[in-house]
Amino acid sequence: MTDDTTRDAGATASADDTGAATAADTGTDTTTATAAPAAATAAPASPSARGTDAARPPFSVKFSARDLLSVAIFGVIYFVVVYAIAMLGIIGPLAMLLTLPLAIVAAGIPYMLFLTRVKHAGMVTLFGLVVGAVYLVSGQPLISFLLTIVVSLVAEVVLWLGRYRSRWAAIWTYAVYSLWFIGPLLPLVINRQEYLASQGMSVMGPEYVAAFDQLFSLTVVWIYNVSTLVFGFLGGLLGSAILRKHFVRAGLA
Amino acid sequence: MTAATTTAVRVPVDVLTARRRGLDPRTKIVLLVLVSGLVMAPGGLRFVLPGILLAVGLAVWDRAWRRLATLLVMVGAMWLIGWGLPLLWPNIVTATLSLLGVYGIRFVTAIGVGMHVVATTSPTQLSAGLRAWHVPRAIAVTLAVMLRFFPVVAIEARAVLDAMRLRGLTGIGGFLRHPLRSIERFTVPMIAASLRAGEDLSASAILRGLGSHRVPTAMIPPRFGIADLLLVLAVAALAAASLLLPSPLG
Repeated sequence: MTDDTTRDAGATASADDTGAATAADTGTDTTTATAAPAAATAAPASPSARGTDAARPPFSVKFSARDLLSVAIFGVIYFVVVYAIAMLGIIGPLAMLLTLPLAIVAAGIPYMLFLTRVKHAGMVTLFGLVVGAVYLVSGQPLISFLLTIVVSLVAEVVLWLGRYRSRWAAIWTYAVYSLWFIGPLLPLVINRQEYLASQGMSVMGPEYVAAFDQLFSLTVVWIYNVSTLVFGFLGGLLGSAILRKHFVRAGLA
Repeated sequence: MTAATTTAVRVPVDVLTARRRGLDPRTKIVLLVLVSGLVMAPGGLRFVLPGILLAVGLAVWDRAWRRLATLLVMVGAMWLIGWGLPLLWPNIVTATLSLLGVYGIRFVTAIGVGMHVVATTSPTQLSAGLRAWHVPRAIAVTLAVMLRFFPVVAIEARAVLDAMRLRGLTGIGGFLRHPLRSIERFTVPMIAASLRAGEDLSASAILRGLGSHRVPTAMIPPRFGIADLLLVLAVAALAAASLLLPSPLG
């Protein structure tokens, strides 16, 4: 572990520009006490220094190194939780109907913990963007990536409405963000005729295809979409409960 | 996905001794977006076979035999579900499942190219490539850290699963009987362990100037080379073939 981290932890290859840059970068941050003692040496004027009103954090999209690391770490955890549970659905489509909602609910735990570390605008959007990019690498359609970005922008607004403090706003933020789960289904809806004309379906004859088309109607798609939101909401509730039960007690939230 | 993460753990790209240079990270990203976009789009089925050939070619080029085997097995399974099974044994179940295969084979094609990206791109190379594109610092740094952090979380997740297995807590049956409790027992220790590892990683990364506003110097600056030219030619040939020849998957 130690050996690994010293080898390639991140973006820089040169070692001599670290001191000044770290200080300039983490000066805006309040949570670096444990991680960056170097940050104490300089405190440059930043947008966030203006806001003294605790109830309303200033609008700022400046990311500290700490913010970026939080997004990255929780992004990876979120991805792994979704995949670990969704993988159970590989066994069959019936299991998938069960595991997908479970994945949405379970991923609420890391997401809600992530939201406790969000103090300013942009982090929720960045989270959606980078996690969407990782899903793109793992085979998700491009359209799903675009949907993820749109959905996280909306989630960002929801969290902003709660001034980054409200528990209910956080729960709704997760519910809205969970709507990205519609993305992987979108190609099936958009290219519907193509899928129905596939060889496997046409073997059964046109009546069956018509019946299936009826069953797989837009109503079903809408039920799926709404259930995504509902399970996202449940995931937010569960995440918030688990937060109080485990992570607050452990000092992690 | 587990296959992709294990490859990432097993084949760390040694930046210092990388004599045999592969593709430029930017080429890989463009290739991935291109393949993913084409394959999933309407009428994308004709691009599936060229995409698979490309992914197989990349795996052979990397001499990543495990990845090659995984890819071929996944493609074979999807083809069997989507095309083979409904013809051999036509009934309602296989016909419905065939949709899954037709969708899945597109998915696997994109994964095949994605596995190459994950296995051959180190965090430093990725961030150097993104910097050359002038991608906003926040995005470039976050993606590079995620790439670095994936193996760590995967190891923690596996350790938690092993511990659960030791206590007899895993298994589909138990999962279905107590879904919420299973989620809690898996997720909470996994997050806690990952965060602990993440603290170390963050401290080290910040001290080394991660996320600084200065432009760092790349040890191996991203350059387009012979490999990229070969890939462009191969992609052009495959694209022309898929547009001109009749699609074998129909």
